[in-house]
Parts: sequence; C-alpha cells; structure tokens
Amino acid sequence: MITAGIDIGAKTVKVVVAGDGKVLGKGLVPAGLDTTAATEQAFDKALADAGLSKDKVGGIVATGTGRKDCTLTDREITEVGAAAKGAVQVLPSCRTVIDVGAEEGRTIRCNGAGKVIDFAFNEKCAAGAGTFAEGMARALQVPLEELGPLSLKSKKATQMNAQCAVFAESEVVTLIHAKTPREDIARAVLDAVASRIISMVRKVGFEKDVMVIGGVALNPGFIEGMKRGLEMEVFVPEEPEYVGAIGAALAAAE
Amino acid sequence: MATKAKYKTAPLKCWKKVKELRLKYYEDYAKAHERGGLRWVGGAWTFSAIPSGLGEDVYSLTSEPYGASIAADKQMSLRCLEASEKAGYARDLCAYMRNYWGSILINEYAFGGTFPKPDFIWQDHICCSHAKWYQVVSDLEGGLPNFCVDVAVGPYEEVAPHKVDYIVEQMQDGIEWMEKVTGRRYNDDLLIEAVKNEFRSTSLWAEICAMNKQVPAPLEEKTMYSLYVLGTLNKHDRSTADFFEELRDEVKERVDQGIAAIPNEQCRLMSDTQPPWGFLSIFRYMEEFGAISVGSLYTFGLIGIWEDKPDGSWGPRTTPMDQGIEITSREQALQLYADWTLAKPEWQHFYSPHIKTKMMARIAKEWKLDGIMLHYNRGCEGLSIGIAENRLGLIEAGYPVMSFEGNMGDEREFDETRVRARFDAFMETLGVAKVGRA
Amino acid sequence: MGNQAVLDRETFETFRNWRVNRAEYAKAWKERTGRKIIGYFCTYAPEELIYAAGILPVRILGSHEVQDVTEPHIFAMFCPFCRDCLAQGLKGRFDYLDGITIAQSCLHIRQAFTSWQKHVPIDYSYYLPMPHHVQSARATPFLAKELELFKASLEEWTGKKITDDAIDEAVEIHNRNRELLWKVYELRKGDSPPLTGEEAMEMVLSSQMVDKQDHNAALEKVLARLSKRDSTRPTGTRLMILGSEDDDVEFINMVESCGATFVVDDHCTGTRYFWNNVESAGDRLTSIADRYVKRVPCPTKDWPDRTRVEHVIKLAKEYDVAGAIVMQQKFCDPHELDNPALTKALKDAGVKTLFLEFDVTVPIGQFKVRVEAFLEMLQDDDLF
Repeated sequence: MITAGIDIGAKTVKVVVAGDGKVLGKGLVPAGLDTTAATEQAFDKALADAGLSKDKVGGIVATGTGRKDCTLTDREITEVGAAAKGAVQVLPSCRTVIDVGAEEGRTIRCNGAGKVIDFAFNEKCAAGAGTFAEGMARALQVPLEELGPLSLKSKKATQMNAQCAVFAESEVVTLIHAKTPREDIARAVLDAVASRIISMVRKVGFEKDVMVIGGVALNPGFIEGMKRGLEMEVFVPEEPEYVGAIGAALAAAE
Repeated sequence: MATKAKYKTAPLKCWKKVKELRLKYYEDYAKAHERGGLRWVGGAWTFSAIPSGLGEDVYSLTSEPYGASIAADKQMSLRCLEASEKAGYARDLCAYMRNYWGSILINEYAFGGTFPKPDFIWQDHICCSHAKWYQVVSDLEGGLPNFCVDVAVGPYEEVAPHKVDYIVEQMQDGIEWMEKVTGRRYNDDLLIEAVKNEFRSTSLWAEICAMNKQVPAPLEEKTMYSLYVLGTLNKHDRSTADFFEELRDEVKERVDQGIAAIPNEQCRLMSDTQPPWGFLSIFRYMEEFGAISVGSLYTFGLIGIWEDKPDGSWGPRTTPMDQGIEITSREQALQLYADWTLAKPEWQHFYSPHIKTKMMARIAKEWKLDGIMLHYNRGCEGLSIGIAENRLGLIEAGYPVMSFEGNMGDEREFDETRVRARFDAFMETLGVAKVGRA
Repeated sequence: MGNQAVLDRETFETFRNWRVNRAEYAKAWKERTGRKIIGYFCTYAPEELIYAAGILPVRILGSHEVQDVTEPHIFAMFCPFCRDCLAQGLKGRFDYLDGITIAQSCLHIRQAFTSWQKHVPIDYSYYLPMPHHVQSARATPFLAKELELFKASLEEWTGKKITDDAIDEAVEIHNRNRELLWKVYELRKGDSPPLTGEEAMEMVLSSQMVDKQDHNAALEKVLARLSKRDSTRPTGTRLMILGSEDDDVEFINMVESCGATFVVDDHCTGTRYFWNNVESAGDRLTSIADRYVKRVPCPTKDWPDRTRVEHVIKLAKEYDVAGAIVMQQKFCDPHELDNPALTKALKDAGVKTLFLEFDVTVPIGQFKVRVEAFLEMLQDDDLF
C-alpha cells in the first residue's frame, strides 16, 4: 500500500510518500504564510519524486504543529509519535530520539516497535533551539550553515556565561571585542545549545542508540557538542528533517 | 464526532448555591464596615477560626483565591500584574500576590468598586513567601497591623508536643494582639464554634474527594475547583460546613445511582498544583479523549484533612467531636486546632518531596489512575517545590507522567497550543483515542 | 617582588587556597583526625553543636560552572544557586562528606538537600526545622527543643555523647572566629581599608570550609600583618554589596578593578554569617538557639518587621559607603520581596544602588558596562 506522511512544522512542510515501509519520494517546501498551499506543493513534489499520481496514495496521516490545518487528511499523529516511528524505521536499534527544531527541542524514549515510552519537551527558552543558534550566527556575522563547520576548527572550549538569548547575543559581541577566535565563539554558542538540550534529555534519561533529528541536527558543531556532553556516539540520519514525515507515512499504513 | 454516552451524567444540584455563597463572601468583606464590622486579610491556609472570636461581624478576604479570581479575568489580571511590576516587584514572584497587590495599586476590587482596605492582617507562614506577601500588602496600604503564625515545624509524621505548643503559643499571642489592635474583647465560645466548623468542613471535603475513587467518577476536577473554593475562603464558617454536608449527600447519591462527571470516562488522571486559572478549558479538551482528572493532592489536600483508615485506605480524618471530645477552653481548642491542621497533606511536601511522592502514588493506586499530569507551575514556588523529584518518584512507582509548564495566575507564561500538543502526545502514548464529546 | 608585596600576597593566600582547594583540605583533615565531616546548606545550621560532636561542619557551595545534570531534579524556576549546589553532589565533588544537614530557611536551597538525600550516597542526613518567626519570643524555646533532638540524633550517629565541655569549647572557638572576622571588618571602616572586598570574601568563605581553629590561627596572623600593610592601592569609590548568597569572587574582582573598593557587605557569605555571637541566654542549647534566632536574618525570616533594612542602613553609614550594589540570585523570592523596600530605604539615606541579577555564571562584560556607568554616576555626585 502506498501512503503519505505530511509533517507541517513551524518553518517548513515535509512530505514523504512510502510503500511497504520504503521511502519512494520526498518533498520539502517553506511553510510561509499559506500553509495549505505549501502543503499541496510539498505533496506534489513528493509524488513527482516518487513518480506516482495522487490516486495511488491509499492513506495520508498528518503530523507536526500545523497538522490540524491540513486539508488533505483528517488522520493525524502527534510529532512525538511520528518521530519515534520514523526513527526506528530509519535505525531499528534507535531507543532515544532527540528532535531539535527551530523553536523547540524534544526527547523521546521508544521501544523497538517505535512505540513511545516517555518524552520531554524543553520549556519555553530559546537557548535550547535552532532560533538561538541563528541569532548568535547573526551576531557573529556568519551564515547559519557555516556556524557548524567553523566551530569544528576550534581547539578550545569557551563557557558562555549568559543563560538567556538576549544576554548571550551581547556576550558574543563582548567575546568578539575581546578578540576571541571566531571558531571558539561558534563552538561556545553550539555547546550552549547542546548543553540546554542535554539538560532536557537527562530529564527522561537516554538509552542507546541515540538519534538526533530535526533541522538543527544538520549542524555538525551542534552534533559534536552533543557527543561531548552525552559522552557517547549519536546517530544523525542522512536527511534528519524527514524523520517525522516518514513516521506519519508508516502510521498511515497501520 | 459524537458517540453514544457510556455513562449517564447530570448537573450538580447545589451548583447555584456554591456560586451564591462565594459571591456573598466577597460582598460581606466589602460591606463589613458599612455594617460596623471588621475586615481582615490573610492566606487561605491561615487559622481563620481565630479572628472569629472577635465577634460575629468579622469578615475576611483570603489572598490566594482572590488572586485566582483576578487571574480568571484576563483583562484585569494583566493590569494588576503590570502595576505590580511597575512598583518594582519581580515577575517571577507568586502570581496570586502580583494580582492581589496590583488590585490594591490600581485600587479596583475584582467584585466591584474600589479595593476595601482591611483593618488587620492575620496570616500563617510555611512557604517562604507567606509572611513576606503581607509585608508588601502592609507597605502598599501605608502600614497595617500584621501578625503571622509560623507553622513550619516539620512533617506531621514527626509531630511532637513542643511543635504543637510553638504554634499554640503564637496563636495565644495573636489573640492578645488582636484584642489590642481591634479594641474588642475576645469571645472563646465563638472561637470554639468556629474551630468545630472547620473540623467539620475540612473533614467533609476529604470525604467528598474520597468518593471519587468510584468508577465512573462522580466529580471531575474542574468542577471540584468551584466547590472546594469555599474551604479556601471560609473554612471555619458554619455555611461552609453545612454546604459541604449537603454536597457530600449529593455526591453519595450520584455514586449510588452511577451518575458520572463525564459521559465517556475511559482514562483516569490526576493533576498537580494549581491549574492555570485562565485556561480551564483544557479540562474540556481532555473530555474529548474520555479523559478525566479525578482530582489531585492539591484539590484533595489543600483544605481537606485526611487520615489512614483501619482498612489501610485514605479517608477523611475523624473530627474531635466524632471522637467524643468536648471542647471547653481556648487552650484546648487551640491545641486541637494546631494538631488538626498540621496533618494537612499539602503541608508535608515543604519538608520533603519524597513524602509527597508517597501520597501521590497512594492516590494513583486508590483512585485507580492511568496517568498523572504535573503542572510545573511558575506562579507558585510553594506547591512546585520538589515537583521534579515527584516526577521521578512516580515514574519509578510505575505511573506514566506528563509534565507541562505554566502559571496559575500569569497567563503570559502559559502556552495553550503547546500544552494541548503535549496532551495529545500523552494520550497517544497511553493508547487513548478521541471519543468526541457526547 | 619586594618584601612588602610578598607580605601582601601571602596574607590572604591561605584563605584563597582553602577556598579553591576545599576538597583537599577536608580530605586531609579527615585523614589527620579520623573524624566525620558534615556538609550544611544554609548558615542557619548550628555549627557549634556539630563541632561539639567532633564533626567538621563545612558549607556546600556551588562551582560557577554551567552544568546539565540538575534538570531532572529541580524545576528551573528555582534559584541557580540551589541547582549549582546539587550539581556538586551529583558530580561527586563532595564525596568526602559523611553526612548532610540543613537548617530550614528558603524553599530553594531545601531542594538541593532533599535531592541530595535521595540521589547522592550519604550515611546521614538531618533536616532541622529552624523556626521562621524569629521576631517572636516563642522561637528560641522551640529551637532549643529542636536542638535537643538534633543533638540526640548526632550522638546516635557518632555513638558518642556530646559533653557540656565540648559544647562550651565549640562555642568559644566559634565566637573567637566571629570576633576575629569582625575585627578585620572594623579595619575596613578607615579611609584606606587595608584589604579589598575580594580578600574579605575569600576570608569569610574559607571560614565556612575549614576547621575554625585553623581559621582562627590564620586570622590572628592576618590581623598582625594588616596594620603593617602598605596601602598604596587607591581605595576609589567606597561600595557596599548586599543581597542573597554570593561567592562570585570574579565579579567582586571585576568591580574592584574599575576604581572601587567594597568596604562592607550584607551576605550570608559575609557579615550575616558571623555578625552575632553566642551569648548566655540560659542553658547551653538555649544560648545557641538564641544566637540563631537573633542573628542578622535572611529575608525569609525577617518578618513581620523588616529589621534587616535598619541594619543595612547602619552598616552603610558606619562604613561610609557612596553606593551599594544590590544583587540577588535569579528567582530568589525572599530577596525579591525585600528589594523594593530596601532600595527605597537606601535611597532615602542617600545611598544610590545598582541592581544586578546573578546566575551560576555572570556575564562579566555586560555587568562591567553597568558597573562603570554606576561608578561614573557616583563620582559625578562627588563633584557637585
């Protein structure tokens, strides 16, 4: 059976078309202001990618914060449930999923069937999410996608003293004035995000294997910070932003 | 999506009466001076029976329910919170107080008119803000006679005569002080009457809550909030004790007839700490899943007084009257009153979260719960203390726990959409699907 | 380095070493004496009684490092200090403690104690219900009874009676320590105080970490040297610092490098800790109880009157301060409830204030900008 999973996030809409547990096509479109249009576009993209027409799709499930607004289906699954299903599909040994998006971080503990055992969200605090890194990259005058690679050049850990996003931005400026190497500042920023996320992870605890998904997982500096903080290897799937949509597509087949 | 109801439901018959009693309370306080009476203020946990000895025309305003009343009015609350912040009070302080202080600052009474200035303050102290709240109230009112009784003598399981005495001695001092600041003579008969009323009302409330062990539950927590409130206003008053008796009889009737609080109960939960008062709609949302909050340590134990029953279950504490004790003197009344109140379940966690975890796990078992929702309440450090340890302890005891952050009295710190999303995920984890509202 | 400079440096080096190497000190003490060590969380803990039991009381403080281990245990709305303290326990940095105790004070630090009880291996713990109503005559007799229970509990744990002589000796040693600290503070009243605020902080902090007999000996030495100390360091603007728990030496150092000197404080890591002695108030335990009931209070116990406000104004006058830095640990409710009244009283007394909120780590850069602007304002006041 061919199914589709639609993940409507705060910044992007992701669609996966799957058949018998295999991903056949994918599409990603910025959410913009018109989510309905963006969802349709992403769906079309995924269908085109799979080389299938709409009528072949036997079931659709929506997930993500915007799932209630999805006009293509009324079947839904929470982003927590979708992430667990998707992660175990991508990596069967996965038992802990850490999902870090633009505005929020989540930790999900699951079993081998992709069923959620426990989960935690980070509380309202920008320092534990992608937006924080984005703001800091701006203060450092580095494009966001270069922040991670830049931080990897750092040989020295620098502690960010400010615990809040507003103070942190001026602290970055202070560090720049103090002639701190830019790579060290980049690392300090990403370590700070990782530290916040790890705080949340410890709340539910973690078990091998640990997978990091969500947009921020694409940042190699952040991933290094996570490995150092958790003192273990973490797994990042090839396209971490699609894991939720994969989970939704699997749910559609159930 | 509408489904056929699993259980029959019916509105509470005494619903109107509780609303009337509540409004009368706020009106009595405001109009006390017109009638030649006295007005005092203090917290919901204060020994409110004691000022009763000053006469039958003595009326109180308790700060926490008053702050909650303001919180339910989002417009007024925002103006109050901002007024407190402008006066220099930090945003992370108790949200009830920031509403209450704001109401003094903008000089508006939430029940109409200007804020009625009290004659004196009569407070207790267990949370490290309690007595401090009223220092601020006194500052804002240009100085008020202020007496607070320290009750932080340790958990009830370690109660000892010198601990009770410390409280009783402060009460004795307080009575002398009250006579001085009001110029009235103290009447011990009125005190004894009030203390007996309080034994009755706080025991009856526990009895009512214990009936929620029934499946389907006859009451759901949102309704219970509107009922227990009398115990936070006027627990020492005959009207409260009588009302709780009437309510007890009605709830018993509901149990006997199998009347449920919600039509499709399929998932029994409890909450913890005060709810975000501006967002009680979240309880209605839960109903869509057939999920019911049957109460909480907060709802049960904020005013309810409990004890271990011979069969090992948790139930209402037997009043001194039911034990055949005749109360004949001030000293005896105060001794019994202090000991009775020290058993309050919501006073125990101040010394150790581990005691609270035990009580919560006990509720989870006896009330047959499927899961627990913990409100990490930024508005109240007194009830949020140790909450993270409670979470760990309850998980260890085998209960699924969902936590969410919010604030009982400051809506700026509550994100309804996110909390609903979290609730969805929690229901999914428990394998509970929506049933729709009948 | 000249002799004078060496003298200057060495004078306070002992204290600094003790503070920085508190674990090494404690382990060596244990090795030397074969006795137990108790960690306490708040300065309301009756150290005299613990000491009389032959146990070394040491204060548990944080490390000022960002950490990620306390989130599962303490809700983030509570102060960073209590979380930092707990982190030390969870990370095993106080593995030399045999027991822990807390004297009831604020709700925040209490959580470090209760989580420690459950999650850090420890042989002994004791919660002392220190009364809050310290302005009531009923508090001392109540605490005296509680001290009896605490005494019995300590005796049971150590298997040894606490003798009257041991209590007398412990009281004498502790009183001596407070008198010596007080004498050093007296010297700060002069036109050119012979020590900095940073040195004063190191001195008081270390007294919370080592055997008072060792500390007394070091203090005697310091007092003898201070009179000979070269005071070439310009005093600059005389400041006071007050507020909640504060052992942020780095912050003090930053301010004092901007042309200012702290001459006095109101902190539980400073004057509040040692200001009052045990005086005879009846039997031994009543006398000790009375000391803790009547000491300069933490705001959480300062009600219904705000006695601390008067005390702070008196300090500001006696030490002739030009301005005051009012700090508090973020989310510290008791201080937040006093600060508006305190700031107003200081203003009325002609003392300007700068308010700063501290976290486990403070952003030195931003704080420096504020401190410099504050000092500039105070210096302008001086001109006109």
